[in-house]
Amino acid sequence: MVMSTENKGGEGNRLPEKEWTFSEILAQPRILERWQKVKKWFFLRESTYDMTNRCNIRCDGCYYYEGDKQFAQENRDPEAWRKLMQTEKARGITFVVLAGAEPSLVPDLCEVCHQEMPLGAIATNGLIFIPDSIQYRIHISVWGSDETSLNIRKAKNMLRRQIENYRNDPRAVFVYTFTRENIDQARNVAEILAADGCRLTFNMFSAPMGYDGSLRHTADSLKECRKAMLGLLEKYPGHLLFSPYSAVAHTHTSGLHELFSCPYPRMNPSTAIGLGRSFRQYRTDLSWNRSAACCVPDTDCRDCRHYAAGSAVVTARMFRHATDPDSFKAWLDYVDTYLAVWVMGYEKGPNLSDNPIAPPGHGLF
Amino acid sequence: MTRDNSIDKILLRVAEIMIQELKLEDVTPETFDPAIDLVDEVGIDSMDLATVALVIRDEYRIRIDEDDYPKLTSVQLISEYIERKLKEKAAEGAAA
Repeated sequence: MVMSTENKGGEGNRLPEKEWTFSEILAQPRILERWQKVKKWFFLRESTYDMTNRCNIRCDGCYYYEGDKQFAQENRDPEAWRKLMQTEKARGITFVVLAGAEPSLVPDLCEVCHQEMPLGAIATNGLIFIPDSIQYRIHISVWGSDETSLNIRKAKNMLRRQIENYRNDPRAVFVYTFTRENIDQARNVAEILAADGCRLTFNMFSAPMGYDGSLRHTADSLKECRKAMLGLLEKYPGHLLFSPYSAVAHTHTSGLHELFSCPYPRMNPSTAIGLGRSFRQYRTDLSWNRSAACCVPDTDCRDCRHYAAGSAVVTARMFRHATDPDSFKAWLDYVDTYLAVWVMGYEKGPNLSDNPIAPPGHGLF
Repeated sequence: MTRDNSIDKILLRVAEIMIQELKLEDVTPETFDPAIDLVDEVGIDSMDLATVALVIRDEYRIRIDEDDYPKLTSVQLISEYIERKLKEKAAEGAAA
């Protein structure tokens, strides 16, 4: 096989022992099976939507209340949203992410989106129950212990209230965001969630533009996060939707853009194909701006390790991982994780890779 | 036996790969319009193109740079790319 320009070597980087063809990689039954499983979902094409400019809590470091999108006028007309969804479907969008500021405050609009677009996810703080009729994945944000949440998010007993709302709800995935200050709390939170039968995944705090506060990660905190993630993955494989490669990709000293070249319009001028062609990030007034379009607008791209970004950024780089079975298995684990986290009805399989491996062209850390 | 790598043969084989990989119906390699825009008119996306690029890389044993495959948006463009790469490979082999 003749390889592309990836895997240039470097400290800690593996070079394939031989030149593998894609068909040789797929000849391994476990790889072929997983490839066929994830490939069925290649039709997913996402866009994201701010549903309201209101939130019932106010968190330090919240990306929504950075930049000018927070000042967009709310469009609260369900029929306007229905028309938008129909237009989105017509231009090829098959998956919607309903996000800022707090979608649970506008359940009627979420309902309309679900009626028109059957696949999607909602990012919520989980304090207000989203009606069962909205069969999207529901991502409930957790930022540490209840004490930490009270400090950062100004809300009491957050985890208990979130669990009360979403225990045994097949839509729910709790998303633990690692900041520099809550790494050691992840163990306790994971234990509580696992004991209540809740599934969780991990996110990394990614600083908004201009943010230089105490939540921003350093090389040391990234290393600690990786260690905590891998330990919890071993301890709670049935509850934690994650993989060793997810841990590497999201705790590398290089951010996602540097590792994988972010394909979102904000960082990608090409409109030819993929996210650069189809992705839009709508504000609450239903306008969008290509120069700001990514899944976490107003995040500092150099610091972006966000789980939503990675789901597209790493997944889009299939070609560069098809160099050898280990790299491809790691990529498949990542995609299997991403689909389980985001798509209702998709169940994650056991990880194919037991150990962290380096991203193509980079070292392990 | 030497493989026939004329552009006509490449066009047919690439069309066949497209049909197989993308599970296209109601079209044969002979009736596949090589100029049709795979993104705009067939509706394929970057992941489909990456998959096709890997199959072609295997089949023709050519180097495909990651930056190149997103630009290969028709059977014609893919076939011309393969032809050019095969010529480059042959020239490198002759020089070695």
